[in-house]
Amino acid sequence: MASATVGGLILLLLMGWTLQAGAQEAGGSCVACHKNFGEDRLGKPVQEFSSDIHFARGFGCISCHGGDAQDPGMTAMDPAKGYIGKPKGEQIVRVCGRCHADARFMRQYNPSLRVDQVTEYYTSVHGQRLKERADSKVATCASCHAAHSIRPPSDPRSTVHPLRVAETCGGCHANADYMAPYKIPTDQLSKYRKSVHWRLLSAKGDLSAPTCNDCHGNHGAAPPGISWVGNVCGQCHAQNADLFNTSFHAKVFVQLGIPGCATCHGNHDVSETRDDMLGLGDGAVCAGCHSNDDKGGQTAAAMRQLIDSLRGEYEKTAEILRRAEHAGMPVNQALFDLNEAKTALVKARAAIHAFSVDAVKKEVAPGLAVAQKAYARGIRALEELQFRRRGLAVSVAIILAVIAGIVLKIRQIERRGRSP
Amino acid sequence: MEKEIHLDEMTRRRLLNWFLGTSVGAFLISVLYPVSRYLIPPRVEESSSRGVTLSLKPADIKPNSGQIFRFGSQPGIIIRTPAGELRAFSAVCTHLACIVQYRPDLGHIWCACHNGHFDLNGKNIAGPPPRPLEQYTVNTRGEQIFVGKA
Repeated sequence: MASATVGGLILLLLMGWTLQAGAQEAGGSCVACHKNFGEDRLGKPVQEFSSDIHFARGFGCISCHGGDAQDPGMTAMDPAKGYIGKPKGEQIVRVCGRCHADARFMRQYNPSLRVDQVTEYYTSVHGQRLKERADSKVATCASCHAAHSIRPPSDPRSTVHPLRVAETCGGCHANADYMAPYKIPTDQLSKYRKSVHWRLLSAKGDLSAPTCNDCHGNHGAAPPGISWVGNVCGQCHAQNADLFNTSFHAKVFVQLGIPGCATCHGNHDVSETRDDMLGLGDGAVCAGCHSNDDKGGQTAAAMRQLIDSLRGEYEKTAEILRRAEHAGMPVNQALFDLNEAKTALVKARAAIHAFSVDAVKKEVAPGLAVAQKAYARGIRALEELQFRRRGLAVSVAIILAVIAGIVLKIRQIERRGRSP
Repeated sequence: MEKEIHLDEMTRRRLLNWFLGTSVGAFLISVLYPVSRYLIPPRVEESSSRGVTLSLKPADIKPNSGQIFRFGSQPGIIIRTPAGELRAFSAVCTHLACIVQYRPDLGHIWCACHNGHFDLNGKNIAGPPPRPLEQYTVNTRGEQIFVGKA
């Protein structure tokens, strides 16, 4: 009996040791139990967490949820052991911020990672609504970064990788039902997907092209203010922003309460610029405020005329040089020079943001001179080509005449040979 | 006997005529084919040139300066870094194809059209250019500089 009791005790001890060892190997007792739940709400976090960067750095469930991972029973989730369950609202920000706002702690893992996310978050519309109105629907850390499969933004699978940011923000902002209480548009995602920025990002793989967070901020996400939207666009389009900011339009737009760049170019659906946006014709954005009768309209029309003249000259010259090059004429120098006209055209298109005819003329004039010179070279090359072709035709005609003469002579000799 | 000689002559003449006709045909093809290729040349998208010898001498390019040169019909830029090394890149900005330039005050390559900046490795570091500049190889032999596509 005694031996049976001792045997039972040894068995129980062994079982206990096995459970504990198993729990430790799999990341604690949390995993040991939760992995048995399969893919449901209690099992999914365990499955997802294996691909999380925190798991890779050695963090486990208790780092965020508290509790005792060494305790194999339900008492592991005792609030007395710090267990907080599934954090919600401000609690999520507090849990993440406990490490991510601690510069000393974060330095051990990623010394270059910023530690002001929480501070920034509370300046965002999301953070302010959470703090001031206890709005439980607003985005917190886990809404954008995913709760249990957090990956660095550079990882293409991350929910905050540049190619996936729009989809992540759109998860709420494109959901009309979810956004209904806020009475704000929900077409930003569909508009953005028509924009030149999205095309550059998705089709051309240019990860520097802007997505939601580049204009709105990420942790401090908020709509850009009317007076400083130009500064946001100017992060990349610095030249145009500088010209705009020194123009009288900058002041007038602020007085009228309309944003800088977005008034003419749109915001989420910003499209590739076209020359017909300038002036007073169809599709011209200037015509929204100006007409032929005011100075602004006349300036717009004059700038358009200058741009058109240079573009026309450039295209005409490029075409004639292409024809000459295709025909084998040496026009490399003219093509090389024409690059300057192209540069002048691009600079002139940027110069329109100064809203001054003189500023545009300053860029157009040298471009026109270069294009006209290159055009004259193209014409000379094509004339030379015609001359060579005429020479070739004459040579071929002579050669063919000689051949015909030889053939006729041979036949004559043959006829003489056959005659008796 | 006379008939046999006549038949023999006929066969020889036919053979000679065949040779003559064939050579006239071959001659015509050899004349007309180059003519047709001259009149309708194949499309050449860009210069197939893989390299160019510059008219500049190494001493012409001072440290912290750059020069534009012609690479086929496209502009290239050769720079000498402040440390004295020669480097060459395509001078076509990767944003909207303007010609870039070297800015000694900035110590790197700059595009005037939209304020694009490229470092001394041709990497886009600021402004709208989406990609680095194409880098060329630079070799010097005596007073000559040879720039080629990598």
